[in-house]
Amino acid sequence: MKKQTRNLVIGGIAIALIISVLSPFIASTNPDGLDKSSELINGNVPDSGIYTAPFADYSVSALGDGPLAGIVALVIGSFMAMGVALGYSYILRRKKENTQ
Amino acid sequence: MHIPDGFIPLWQCAIYYVIALFFVYFAGRWSRNNLNEKNIPLLAVLAAGIFAIMSMNIPVPFGSSGHMVGSAMVAIIFMSPWAGTIVIALVLAVQAIFFGDGGVTTWGANTINMGVVGSFVGFGMWQVLKRSKLPVISGKYASIGVAAWIAIFLAACVAAVEMWLAGTFPLGLGLLYMGGYHAMIGVFEAIITVVVIASLESVRPDLLAWNHKKDKDDFDLSTKTQEEEEVPSK
Repeated sequence: MKKQTRNLVIGGIAIALIISVLSPFIASTNPDGLDKSSELINGNVPDSGIYTAPFADYSVSALGDGPLAGIVALVIGSFMAMGVALGYSYILRRKKENTQ
Repeated sequence: MHIPDGFIPLWQCAIYYVIALFFVYFAGRWSRNNLNEKNIPLLAVLAAGIFAIMSMNIPVPFGSSGHMVGSAMVAIIFMSPWAGTIVIALVLAVQAIFFGDGGVTTWGANTINMGVVGSFVGFGMWQVLKRSKLPVISGKYASIGVAAWIAIFLAACVAAVEMWLAGTFPLGLGLLYMGGYHAMIGVFEAIITVVVIASLESVRPDLLAWNHKKDKDDFDLSTKTQEEEEVPSK
């Protein structure tokens, strides 16, 4: 990997990790714009219960209710998002190379 | 702005899925023709950063909060709304499946609002504003900030219309509250978008597509390979 690319990746990961560590401490617990609108209009936020995500509410439940549960979930998620984007890009590139 | 499961009837979710997948398909064609060894890492770190920053809700007045979306930012960095569409679609899929932020059934609607509307409106408004002769807002960074704000505001309005079609919100109140809250959240979006792009311009201008796209004024919505010229990196 070229030095510039490596620096970009390290810098990008560092920023994502800093946000992940800070977020459980400083993110607002107010409902977001959509939930708040629903509260004001309907008096509640509907919940279908159709699917429960493994790290629901950005929290690793095995780690309790503290901020660590949120930090770990966000770190996992940041790497997941990066991995999915990388995987998607390389699959499409390989497909292109195969068709050429 | 993530619509959870239960806000939209399943048959309407299916329609949104079809529309979203249509855009994701063309975003795939753009990706295949334009992603390379140099910009794939950028796309990946933007996905990671957007995932993280979407978790950081900033309080806004009247008891609500909101977070950045980043679709306009990605579209402007890559000079293509398809880039913003695909990054947001992938991040939303991770959030819905693993973190319960936004529903699995409403992934299509969320991708349309934040990904498609956010990217196309953000990119389109930026192109229109920077060509306009309007004072201040036609400026290099002012046009980016205003475009990012409009992108969030209109994405929220489209979400309100979807809520109305779903029978969840009445149209007037939905537009009032969703538009009102996201008009405030959009200020945060505008500031972060300008800061990120201005930082890239000063540190790594070679990563910004506008610096190496051959026809810099081309209003390009195509998925074809964009012609590039070499730009020395700092």
